[in-house]
Amino acid sequence: MQTRSSTYLNEAVAIWFRDLRSEFRTRYALNAILMFAVTTLIAVSFSIGSFRIEEAERPFLYSVLLWIILTFSALSGLSRSFVKEEEAGTIDVLKLSARPQAVFFGKLLFNLTLLGALELIIVPSFIFLMAYQINFPGFFVAMIISGGLGLGAGTTIIAAMIARASTRGALFSVLSLPLLLPLMITCIKGCERAAIGIHSAGWPEVKIAVAYVIIMVVMSLFLFPLIWEE
Amino acid sequence: MIFKLLLTMWMAVIIVAAFFYAGTAAGFPGQTSRILFFHVPQAWIATLAFLISMIASALYLAKRKVETDYVAQSAAELGFLFCVLATVTGSIFAKATWGSFWNWDPRQTSIVILLMIYGAYFALRSAVSDPERSRVFAGVYSILAFATVPFLVFIVPRITASLHPEDTMSPVNPGMDPKTLKVFLGSLLAYTGLFIWMLRLRIRLLRLKGLRVRDLYHEPDNE
Repeated sequence: MQTRSSTYLNEAVAIWFRDLRSEFRTRYALNAILMFAVTTLIAVSFSIGSFRIEEAERPFLYSVLLWIILTFSALSGLSRSFVKEEEAGTIDVLKLSARPQAVFFGKLLFNLTLLGALELIIVPSFIFLMAYQINFPGFFVAMIISGGLGLGAGTTIIAAMIARASTRGALFSVLSLPLLLPLMITCIKGCERAAIGIHSAGWPEVKIAVAYVIIMVVMSLFLFPLIWEE
Repeated sequence: MIFKLLLTMWMAVIIVAAFFYAGTAAGFPGQTSRILFFHVPQAWIATLAFLISMIASALYLAKRKVETDYVAQSAAELGFLFCVLATVTGSIFAKATWGSFWNWDPRQTSIVILLMIYGAYFALRSAVSDPERSRVFAGVYSILAFATVPFLVFIVPRITASLHPEDTMSPVNPGMDPKTLKVFLGSLLAYTGLFIWMLRLRIRLLRLKGLRVRDLYHEPDNE
């Protein structure tokens, strides 16, 4: 049993590293996601500026804008992880060389890496450009991290599905958004609360987001083999 | 045939009874409480249809029988139809009692997300050309979407308090007028009958379409 469980992990990590290496050579997904995010951020920042919105409204409206930028940037590039396998024709080899759950985990880790890079660049820039005042940074960071995990967990299995469909680009957002909506609402609420600085005991929004991540990952592990072997 | 005739007569009786036999509930302006006899059964059918669709999808994924997928697809389509009807009638009621057609009441929020999910479900079905693959993907998506429902239940009520009438119109409420209760239960029965009839028609249609496509590729066995 010991060797079996370790090979699952090995396979997943191998796929993760392979994807990172190939991404590092082309930087296709990262460029797409980051350029989308930066362009949107500049458009938002330029048209609103840091003083246009009244002080009392800022925590809520900035949190809405931040999560719209993050979610839609993620949707612009996360489908790459599976679409590129389909386009390069490497999908059959991948099927032979790793078990479905390991493939899912490898791709999930890769998508989470992309999301981490996105958040690392966009969130500080957003705070800097919009003069977003956050009174409770710990809660805010926890919300951003758990929200990012949720975005990855909710979209990875959808990416695997749309890689086999005919209209990939639009379909990815269409399928992902209804599943991400509960998460988005939670994250917006959580970031607003963190910005205002209400010390809400136990960070309820972070807990909801973590529960979302767990449920989506567990469901995906059950359902992914069905899609993968189809 | 006899089932259809009986259903038509029963629906006619219910519509007349909803307007002339049952009284109006206290606390609602004018005749607005009569929405109970149409809106609630529509919402009930939508829920039932989506539930049937989800169960049929799971069965399809387990056993891979095409017939169960026909049930899943037909039920999802009818659920969508009744969901739209419930949204529209509810919105008219909202205008009459709350003053606006749309105010993102928790009920309205959750029904919109439900419509989005099933809109996406149909988009997925039509985007995958291989029929077998399309069935598997649709099944997987419908189960995934179902997994997010608990979050809506937890999160949405946290945003705003609902104005949706609950206890005043609930059939289990002992305060409900017996005449109203009779017509309401009759209406539930009528709508359920209508749903079963439509579902069977739709499944038959899908079965015929499936036959035609299959016959194009393979010779039928019995010829």
